[in-house]
Amino acid sequence: MATDTLKNTTDSGGDGGGGSARAVRRLLLDNGALSALVVLVVAMSLLSGDFLTTQNLLNVGVQAAVTAILAFGVTFVIVTAGIDLSVGSVAALSATVLAWSATSEGVPVWLAVVLAVGTGIACGLVNGALVSYGKLPPFIATLAMLSVGRGLSLVISQGSPIAFPGSVSRIGDTLGGRLPVPVLVMVAMGLITALILSRTYLGRSMYAIGGNEEAARLSGLRVKRQKVAVYALSGLFAAVAGIVLASRLSSAQPQAAQGYELDAIAAVVIGGASLSGGVGKASGTLIGALILAVLRNGLNLLSVSAFWQQVVIGVVIALAVLLDTARSRAGASAAPAGASGAGGPGGSGRKGARAVKYTVAAVLVAAVIGGVSFWNNGSSGGGTKLGLSLSTLNNPFFVQLKAGAEAEAKAKGVELTVTDAQNDASQQANQIQNFTSGAMSSVIVNPVDSDAAGPSVRAADKAGIPVIAADRGVNKADIATLVASDNVAGGRQAAKTLAEKLGGTGQIVILQGTAGTSASRERGQGFAEGIKAYPGIQVVARQPADFDRTKGLDVMTNLLQAHSGVNGVFAENDEMALGAIKALGSKAGTSIPVVGFDGTPDGLKAVEAGTLYASVAQQPAELGRLAVLNAIKAARGDEIASTVKVPVKVVTAKNVADFS
Amino acid sequence: MSHPDELLRVEGIRKTFPGVVALDSVDFDLRRGEVHVLLGENGAGKSTLIKMLSGAYRPDAGRVLVGGQEVRIHGAQDAERLGIATIYQEFNLVPDLTVAENIFLGRQPRRFGLVDRKKMESDAAELLERVGVTTPPHTKVRELGIARLQMVEIAKALSLDARVLVMDEPTAVLTSEEVDKLFRIVRALREDGVGVVFITHHLEEIAALGDRVTVLRDGRSVGQVPASASEDELVRLMVGRDIDQQYPRRAAETGTALLSVTGLTREGVFRDVGFEVRAGEVVGIAGLVGAGRTEVVRAVFGADHYDTGSVRVAGATLPRHDVSAAMAAGIGLVPEDRKGQGLLLDASVEENLGLVTLRSATRAGLVDRAAQHTAAARIAGQLGVRMAGLGQRVRTLSGGNQQKVVIGKWLLAEVKVLILDEPTRGIDVGAKVEIYELINELTAAGHAVLMVSSDLPEVLGMSDRVLVMAEGRIAGELTADEATQDAVMALAVGAARPSGPAIGEDDEQDEEGVEGSRGH
Repeated sequence: MATDTLKNTTDSGGDGGGGSARAVRRLLLDNGALSALVVLVVAMSLLSGDFLTTQNLLNVGVQAAVTAILAFGVTFVIVTAGIDLSVGSVAALSATVLAWSATSEGVPVWLAVVLAVGTGIACGLVNGALVSYGKLPPFIATLAMLSVGRGLSLVISQGSPIAFPGSVSRIGDTLGGRLPVPVLVMVAMGLITALILSRTYLGRSMYAIGGNEEAARLSGLRVKRQKVAVYALSGLFAAVAGIVLASRLSSAQPQAAQGYELDAIAAVVIGGASLSGGVGKASGTLIGALILAVLRNGLNLLSVSAFWQQVVIGVVIALAVLLDTARSRAGASAAPAGASGAGGPGGSGRKGARAVKYTVAAVLVAAVIGGVSFWNNGSSGGGTKLGLSLSTLNNPFFVQLKAGAEAEAKAKGVELTVTDAQNDASQQANQIQNFTSGAMSSVIVNPVDSDAAGPSVRAADKAGIPVIAADRGVNKADIATLVASDNVAGGRQAAKTLAEKLGGTGQIVILQGTAGTSASRERGQGFAEGIKAYPGIQVVARQPADFDRTKGLDVMTNLLQAHSGVNGVFAENDEMALGAIKALGSKAGTSIPVVGFDGTPDGLKAVEAGTLYASVAQQPAELGRLAVLNAIKAARGDEIASTVKVPVKVVTAKNVADFS
Repeated sequence: MSHPDELLRVEGIRKTFPGVVALDSVDFDLRRGEVHVLLGENGAGKSTLIKMLSGAYRPDAGRVLVGGQEVRIHGAQDAERLGIATIYQEFNLVPDLTVAENIFLGRQPRRFGLVDRKKMESDAAELLERVGVTTPPHTKVRELGIARLQMVEIAKALSLDARVLVMDEPTAVLTSEEVDKLFRIVRALREDGVGVVFITHHLEEIAALGDRVTVLRDGRSVGQVPASASEDELVRLMVGRDIDQQYPRRAAETGTALLSVTGLTREGVFRDVGFEVRAGEVVGIAGLVGAGRTEVVRAVFGADHYDTGSVRVAGATLPRHDVSAAMAAGIGLVPEDRKGQGLLLDASVEENLGLVTLRSATRAGLVDRAAQHTAAARIAGQLGVRMAGLGQRVRTLSGGNQQKVVIGKWLLAEVKVLILDEPTRGIDVGAKVEIYELINELTAAGHAVLMVSSDLPEVLGMSDRVLVMAEGRIAGELTADEATQDAVMALAVGAARPSGPAIGEDDEQDEEGVEGSRGH
């Protein structure tokens, strides 16, 4: 933007020395985000020998690609002083449309791609029309689309991932075995964004509309039409991002890219754009996305605790934007000193400004280095290194699994790095990729989704690293073993327990887990099979509560309104069961038995208290222990069984003492 | 040596912005019970100076002394503590709070931790009475007219026991009756020992109200004179040269009608408005505030809709409510609210100048930015826009230069009919004359100009014909020879009140006096 022009002219009035070093310095000082990125890269390279390798840098590129492409689209919207919260959902919807039309409906692949891109554009057009003609605030219009898009992708996919057509999946691959295609797509989209923003009528209009909408209108710009086009463009970019994302996973996930809109917005703002419009550049957005990717990648390589990773990421986002604000403030007072000629009274102001920049930079470095070295408790010795990628840590089950795994690793004296994919298949793919290039002896994967984990596990196979699947299997890839409880059998046992407690008759409701997850599918399937044996039992409602206690409470409350005759509840995990118990109040365990699944500590306490009638107990700590044990064996090349079953047991008040 | 009654002294103050030295070694002082006028063209540094007093900016060098003590003013709180209150042109009031709440914002009297509404309103009523406003204190600020908003701001300053009251062009938006009222209040404050810093562009106000005058030019104080100095001397100090003629209109040869409007009506706003503007002609529209002048020209330009009537440019009828069509036909509008409607304040001069021609500079979706740059450089040079470079942000330009940018973007589009709504509001004498010369050049080249202005001397001085609007209708049309202040006022008020009382005889008149009639 224009401010750069001015700054360049004024800064050049500074001291005499020349050369490229000064140009680089000026580039860094003029661009806070770029300096933050350089600081991060330097810090990561110093802290981890695995960071600054070609392969890892390409990994970073691949891991930044989806966020960057989404963020490019969001840049357009933010420059016009709007916001687009729907890009994550639209990405998932577009990918689902592609996979569904090509795989399930037999549409030719090229047409499916056109349909997917068209879906993205259509969603954007609706957003734009709501904002321009419906006069809805962009936040609300796109928030609505966020929900609609996610819902439609679940409707189309029936909640299950759909295999992505092989020819399109090549987008997630590499060119000549070296150059990853997602990186190329990211660079291409970035160039297109830069071209649109700087050279086209539409792009220049965006700055005008974001700067002063009324002035733009009175200067003859067709503001409403331009806005519709801007949101459509954002939808188009979201579709491309969705296709890249699904290609990497070889599977279109209805739940993919959740929360990515916030990453995209963060990338745009870190890149120097203003949420109040009129400012923003493609290069800045790219840097913003790279900062996020470098951070995640580096923290994986450094084995920073999964919990602290989120803290560090938040702090770095704030610092990066702070650095940029400090820069522009410093720029405002530093420039005139240059303009007014030789040093003099202006010099001190400039020095102060520089001090601000260096202080912020120093704080940033200190935070990153301090942060990572403090939690980097592993010694990088030559021993056995294991990586464990968990689907989530927002659930006591996986926390126990982690605890079991860590205890076993400590006992056996091996180094174990645990990462948290936050229920996001593509983040998990990144983590497995980082493990693979980080030279792990073997990798334990607790897949977010069995299909989606396929491609990254295949890459690990290729690198000769044995992969152990924990709790859930991995499809279309070789794994050394699967360590799991039998969810289907557990579901059957739950049905039997509940039916017998009810004496074979009654009305029950089922609280389902997150739509599309294998645990929900298998437990639901087992329960359905088991309940068939009791024709007197009627399932009056079956609703998702996403494995979440709060949602379990809400959904159960709603269901009680609709079905007052309910006298039994099955929840596909303990968390939801505990939520349902809250909703049932005093009826829980007295007139309405609730059966959960997992046997988490909270669940077992409830069984003890009598509010939870039964839980199908998995033994997560045991599962984690066995996973690590087998991973060590696999790393040594020992023979191991192709599946390791972790026993599942129904826990009731009678036998709960044996479990706690 | 400092005067015994000195309240405030500024010594050798300096302030720079990117590419601009806004103030350089400026001295200024203010005594108890005086009105010290700060005079200067836009961009001379008046606003920058008062923003240092209010704590909005910090000086790069120099000293500020209050009551003989050197102080640092780092924010509004510091200024408040030192007894300095500032009333900006853009008021700092919250529209949806009441008058009383605005006056005591952040300092509401409290009882048991809760706002004591009763006390607050009675205190506010007392203050309002001092400034002669009868509005009840529980009125929402949104419902007040501009003059009353200003009085609320003054009441707020009084509530702070301000010893120094800084007023940035308080009369720019007031009618002559409101100005008289304001002057009465300022004189009363002066009697009470308050020192008033008063910024104005109206030279005649200086003799009427001021005690001393400090003239700023290009960021330096160029002189301090008593308020009795002649207008010619003040102008010379301000502009740095003599200005021969305040309204240098040179009538051009008139040709065919370029813009003809017939029967234009929007229910409840304007009715049956019809007029013509011929090539080479300047047509002025005068009238009371709320007569519907701005509404009519916006409708002609397509910015707002109208119900019936037609707008033709060179014979072709324009579709309603379509800015692009109006532009394509050759109409341009320089809107009343320069900052809110005319400019992208945070974009560069170049971008602002290229805004209207953006579409015509586009080939196959790509903008020819090199051509845009060349065109912007040419027009900025032609208009004499004072700036550090084409990349300078428009926000940091002075008002006159900002207005040149707004006009410049339309000149680049080669409009046939240029509509100017309040073209010189808040602009200094020197820049005004430059804009008038521009109007001369346009009409000499065979273009037509339609000018709405509340500055009556300007309308009379620059127009070839004057249309007078009253209550949404055209009350009459006067040729340049017929158009005198009295004739215009008679039409503007006569139509409004066919048999009503003359101006100033009732209270309502306050809200709608003839603007700008104070000119001479």
